[in-house]
Amino acid sequence: MKGVVEIQLWQFGLIYLLLLIVVGVMKKCHVNQSRLLVWASVRMSVQLVLAGLVLTYIFKNPHPALTLLYLTAMIGFAIYRVLSKNKGINRRFQQVIGLSIALPGLFVAAFFIYIVVGETSFDPQYIIPIAGMIMGNAMNGVTLGIKTFRETLESQRPRMEALLNAGATPRSILMPFMSQSLETALLPTMNSMLGMGIVSLPGMMTGQILSGTLPTTAILYQIAIMIAICTVVCLATFGSLYFGLKTLYNSRNQILL
Amino acid sequence: MPPILAASDLHFLDFLHYPPIAIEQGSMTFVQGPSGCGKSTLLRLFNATATPSAGQVLFDGQDIAGLDTIQLRRDVLLVSQATYLFDDTIEGNFLRYYELREQTPPAQQQMRDCLALCCADFELSASCSTLSGGERQRVFLAIFLSFAPRVLLLDEPTSALDEATARQLMEQLKAHCVAQQITVVVVSHDRQLAQQYADATIILAKGAAE
Repeated sequence: MKGVVEIQLWQFGLIYLLLLIVVGVMKKCHVNQSRLLVWASVRMSVQLVLAGLVLTYIFKNPHPALTLLYLTAMIGFAIYRVLSKNKGINRRFQQVIGLSIALPGLFVAAFFIYIVVGETSFDPQYIIPIAGMIMGNAMNGVTLGIKTFRETLESQRPRMEALLNAGATPRSILMPFMSQSLETALLPTMNSMLGMGIVSLPGMMTGQILSGTLPTTAILYQIAIMIAICTVVCLATFGSLYFGLKTLYNSRNQILL
Repeated sequence: MPPILAASDLHFLDFLHYPPIAIEQGSMTFVQGPSGCGKSTLLRLFNATATPSAGQVLFDGQDIAGLDTIQLRRDVLLVSQATYLFDDTIEGNFLRYYELREQTPPAQQQMRDCLALCCADFELSASCSTLSGGERQRVFLAIFLSFAPRVLLLDEPTSALDEATARQLMEQLKAHCVAQQITVVVVSHDRQLAQQYADATIILAKGAAE
């Protein structure tokens, strides 16, 4: 197999032309989000260039402290994104969400790298990209799960009031909302798993194949990462909702919203 | 006989101050007053879904602050103005409410009796999603009545009913509650209804009681 074809910078620049098509469609359909599209594209490009530079430095000068710092920043940003998308959550619930993203994320990443891949060192070349994929998906799953949970709570106030008055426990009232939100959070990952290999060749696998890895090896990595992602989305969302739910009622069995 | 429900020096936040309240066992007491005077909040303070900022509520002579709130809500049952029925049949709703209370559901005949008592003579297999607002209110009340509480708190129980049905419902409800020795506290704007059925009336004014 040949290695990856290097893209020239001017060739790379051509990809931005596709955005003109998107802007054209937006204008035609009166979707006034062209500025957001430009901002998102610029921000994404700058962030990735910076990440590329930082990763190049870290890979050239591997040191556990730098890797740890990168991991911490990654986890911190994931938690920040979830909380900024779900404002109005009480302090204890926020702490629960933070722990529920960090702990399962680290556990699944460590399991993948040290047990499945069999890596023995603290090699940033494995840890950072794999932890990144795992944390990114945990972030998306929890954001979706918490958003669904909050919207359900908001729309189901009469139900909660009636059941509480009927003498049901807050826990039994809130548990169905948790199940529904967990299901919503897991659906995109499970759908993606269903279509994988038929509808899409996912990013990690594509990247490995482009850089010259045998497809059979790339497939093993892809299967492993998909199962890891499904697990982390499930654990992080479940942890956030299951333990977060306990912050929504007090010892007098009053629901605090 | 000591009152079954009593309250003294009861405050909720900074704006609701209640007079001393004593509700006799087996009586039907109406709570009346202008909007915003704290009628519905009073019912929520009685069943501990709201906590007073000062004062105490006594149930059977015991301060409810020390009671198990789930058991209290089963004894002092609040039928709120906002009704809720599951997207299911009437029987299905009975079953689901009992499941949430972790109790054995009543026999079908008992369900029918409660429905008849609340002027809701519908088939148990009828879907609740096709019922009107007033019909839903009566089915909801029937389910709660089947729990056989010691005190029944009703928040505007006739708000979605026409006058004739409202009178019939109150007539049957009063007879049933007298027979079963159930104490009833009714929040209602309807002065005529209160004059006709109240054994006692509590009049609340905005901010402070009269």
